[in-house]
Amino acid sequence: MRCRTALTRVDALRTGELETPEQSSVDQHLKTCRSCDESLHDVENLAHAIKALALPSPRSFRDIAPHDSLDRIGDVWVAFSRRGLRMISRCSEDEFRVRYAKRYGRALERAELPENLKKQVTAALEGEGVEKPRLDIEDANDLEAKVLASMSRIPKGEVRSYSWLAEQVGKPKAVRAVANYVARNIVPFVVPCHRVVPASGGVGKYAFGSKLKREMLEREGVDVERLEELAKEGVRLIGSKTTHIVCCPTCKDARRIREENVVPFHDIDEAIEHGFRPCKRCQPFAA
Amino acid sequence: MKNSWTGGEAATVDVPAAENLALSVHRCQSGAFERLIDQYESALFNYAHGILQNPFDAQEVVQDALMRAHKALTRQYDEARCAELALRPWLFRTVRNLSLNKRRSKRSALDRPLDEFSDDRLGPYVRSERGGADSDLARRQDAEMLQRAIALLPVDARELIVLRFMEEMSYAEIAKTVGSTEAALRGKVFRALRLLRDALEKKGVTHAM
Repeated sequence: MRCRTALTRVDALRTGELETPEQSSVDQHLKTCRSCDESLHDVENLAHAIKALALPSPRSFRDIAPHDSLDRIGDVWVAFSRRGLRMISRCSEDEFRVRYAKRYGRALERAELPENLKKQVTAALEGEGVEKPRLDIEDANDLEAKVLASMSRIPKGEVRSYSWLAEQVGKPKAVRAVANYVARNIVPFVVPCHRVVPASGGVGKYAFGSKLKREMLEREGVDVERLEELAKEGVRLIGSKTTHIVCCPTCKDARRIREENVVPFHDIDEAIEHGFRPCKRCQPFAA
Repeated sequence: MKNSWTGGEAATVDVPAAENLALSVHRCQSGAFERLIDQYESALFNYAHGILQNPFDAQEVVQDALMRAHKALTRQYDEARCAELALRPWLFRTVRNLSLNKRRSKRSALDRPLDEFSDDRLGPYVRSERGGADSDLARRQDAEMLQRAIALLPVDARELIVLRFMEEMSYAEIAKTVGSTEAALRGKVFRALRLLRDALEKKGVTHAM
């Protein structure tokens, strides 16, 4: 082996990174060549001196690690920031963290929910919730934000269909897309996605099981069985003979119509043909 | 009676698996990213400083790199990619790319190769007498000379010196970081060392370190 070849391998030899045959031939060369052998010590000395030059980082970057807070109420995990509520779910803590990271790219630290937020969330979980907690959902796109806002306006004890929601957000044809955002609702219970049901009857699917959705609706005072009966007959809207106003079946005003004055309709066009006007409260332009 | 098959000894010893830090960060386990920072920030800073020769720029680059790493690990890479990620070379590569970008945007006079400089660029150097209370001082001066000599190396030599001798990376890891082969790197490191030694010898700093 020539000196030139040996010299380029001296450093790798020092840390034992050469393969065995190569290592032995370099070793062999060092035994016979004094100047190359010296250069090994030389490299060792230099390596040592350079290592000693390493500096500690002048500033710790620990504080750049972004994180929000996490607390639990009953069996529900609640993530929040100083600005408001960020995510709610009923799942394991690990799963919650992973989903949170996917959505927001931030870690969660355990902390206590502020008193007022806690009160509001607890109320929402129990199906009461008059005062809405503040939300901090920063990267929702336009449609998602609108869907969440419209859903929040569905009153307790009432339900609306997915197509009604699509109409509300100004995308009457994008029912599927709207329904996807309902399904992906990041703050369930607080934004009442359980109050959106299929127009064809039944309570529909729910992230935590349709059984829970049905229970929650019943607890809020929705007559689920009657809704199903109406859906079976194809009745989507209910009008009143006396006022000539047409409503969604669960609208507070529709529930006051006396039995003998109820007029069932299949859709809004049929109702308008008969000289009815849509209720201004539940806005049944599509149902 | 002991079972003759196993000899009564536990066949396997439980070795706590080294934490896959990339995966922990991906899963947003609490404190994982802080552990990553604690483990790497000084090394990354030294590397960035080695390339940029400016502590303020180096700090900025490291912070940027850590933010990017966090974003990539939590939001952009999927589980499988995080699991097989070679974290150290990946982090160093991020710092390298950002440092080189920064350097390009503000070329510094230090980046001209060493042989273009008159020897005075290394500063006046007075070698104190050997031995006694002075040897400490001599060593400190030697270290200072070494630091300056490294600063005056061309950038590609400088970064190799930092990776190989300050961070003590293996050639395989350096190859992953800078995108080269081990054989080529052996030659490059050798030449970088020779440049460094020549510069030091001209100033009379010999193997005393």
